Amino acid sequence: MWERFWLTVWTSLASTFFSLCIGIPAGYALSRFTFPYRNLIASIIDLPIVVSPAVVGAFLFGITTRFPFDLISEHYGIYIGRNVYGVLLVQFTVTAAFCARLMKASFDMIPTRFEAVSRSLGASPLRTFFRVVLPMAKNGIIASMIVVWARAAAEWEGLMLFVGATEGKTDIMPFAIYLDFNAGMMGWVTSMSIVCILMAISAISAMKMIGGRSNVW
Amino acid sequence: MSGKTPRRKSFNMLFYSFAGFLFLYSAYLFLSNVDQLFVTETAVQTGGITAVWGEDRDVLNKFAGGFWNDPYFWKSLNLTVVSTLITTLIASVLGIPTAYVLSRYRIPGISAIEVLFSSLIVMPGSVIGICLIVMFNYGPLWNLQNAVGFKFAHSLFPGMVLASLVLSFALGLSAWKAAFDSVNPRFEHVARSLGSSRWRAFRTVTLPLAKSGIIAGIILAWTRAMAEFSAVLFFCGTFRELPPSRFSNFTKLIKMDQADWVSVAVWAQVEFGNVEYGFALAYVLVVIGGISVYVMHRIGAKGYVW
Repeated sequence: MWERFWLTVWTSLASTFFSLCIGIPAGYALSRFTFPYRNLIASIIDLPIVVSPAVVGAFLFGITTRFPFDLISEHYGIYIGRNVYGVLLVQFTVTAAFCARLMKASFDMIPTRFEAVSRSLGASPLRTFFRVVLPMAKNGIIASMIVVWARAAAEWEGLMLFVGATEGKTDIMPFAIYLDFNAGMMGWVTSMSIVCILMAISAISAMKMIGGRSNVW
Repeated sequence: MSGKTPRRKSFNMLFYSFAGFLFLYSAYLFLSNVDQLFVTETAVQTGGITAVWGEDRDVLNKFAGGFWNDPYFWKSLNLTVVSTLITTLIASVLGIPTAYVLSRYRIPGISAIEVLFSSLIVMPGSVIGICLIVMFNYGPLWNLQNAVGFKFAHSLFPGMVLASLVLSFALGLSAWKAAFDSVNPRFEHVARSLGSSRWRAFRTVTLPLAKSGIIAGIILAWTRAMAEFSAVLFFCGTFRELPPSRFSNFTKLIKMDQADWVSVAVWAQVEFGNVEYGFALAYVLVVIGGISVYVMHRIGAKGYVW
């Protein structure tokens, strides 16, 4: 059980890191810049959130056996699928869009005035971003990081179609609940559900303490 | 000045490229599988799928190119759409007043209630399903169901609606709460001070101001109910696999005992080795979700909701 717990924690931490790398800049771009077909692009970015994660898993299963990915994986001997990398890919796919959305919300709360002032005092855009915007958005970013982590730890529907669960390797906790439920081990199921519930509640209350908004989503 | 322009350009390029990466990733994720829709029956047969499953599984081996001829598809779609509409109705009837109360009134312990509601969003779906099962299949509620003679689990009306209600209520609540938060309570106070009643102030001042947010929340709740997978899987399962004796007369009457929740059907078809059919159903879900999100963006849910 604790192996599964730590597996859940570290995979979701890693995928939170990856999705933050993509999500912070993308959220900033969505929040500040205007570009043509903005609604359309925003809807397509939102697609992985609003379609069922099981469908996302099915599509991941499709693209990893398709044109660029199959050549790459064959050539370099990388296999993304029924191993931990598959878990990371599913969690990244589902949380990256979520993360961009939350980051957009936390950047929206910062007035553009400060950036304009910093630019007018001669700072470059990158310097403005790292010295002015990021420190101001720090609380929001940490809060949304916690939510993204909790969402990544809760993700299992995509795993069901794309990865499956190998005992001790890819059976993160929500999936293990399904497996043990099918095996009829109700005691394990309830104890793991309680751990998952405590994880979710503690993540959300930590976020509230930091002062982020949960009602972004 | 001339030194800054290229820098600014490269900065913009950097940020656009990250947004563009996300865009292209999702677009590629969903579009690269289009060819699954055009698999012909002969291709399926040469693929050896029918050889594996034998003749009796021929219903499952319907090729995806003709999925719109399949009654299973239409039944499942009807079932899902009708159930999610009922779910959305219940969720908005329960959720909009709750969101208003959470956003306006000071109740002791309100932060605990908020934490509970928002932690539903990051709760694994399997845990929600397990909670529903533990709630309805054990203890007093189970005795009540036995007394009435009607089981909630594996049923159409309370079962599927309950399973999809949980998450759609949580998401809708967060959107509606954001919509009410974005309306300044001052306006309402002014209306109250000018002598209008509480209900009238809500109806004529707050509601029109929060309208776009509320509509966006309704669309969000509906989309999330359509996207529900694991709670339905745990609580209702796949109807196709159940013996006929498990269905109520009502279910048989409207001929829904051979239909599934669509996203559960995607999983079931892919698991049965009927990958193309599963992808066809998945595309239907993607199109529905994409359209509803686009409508939501067009309505322009204000502020930080979307």
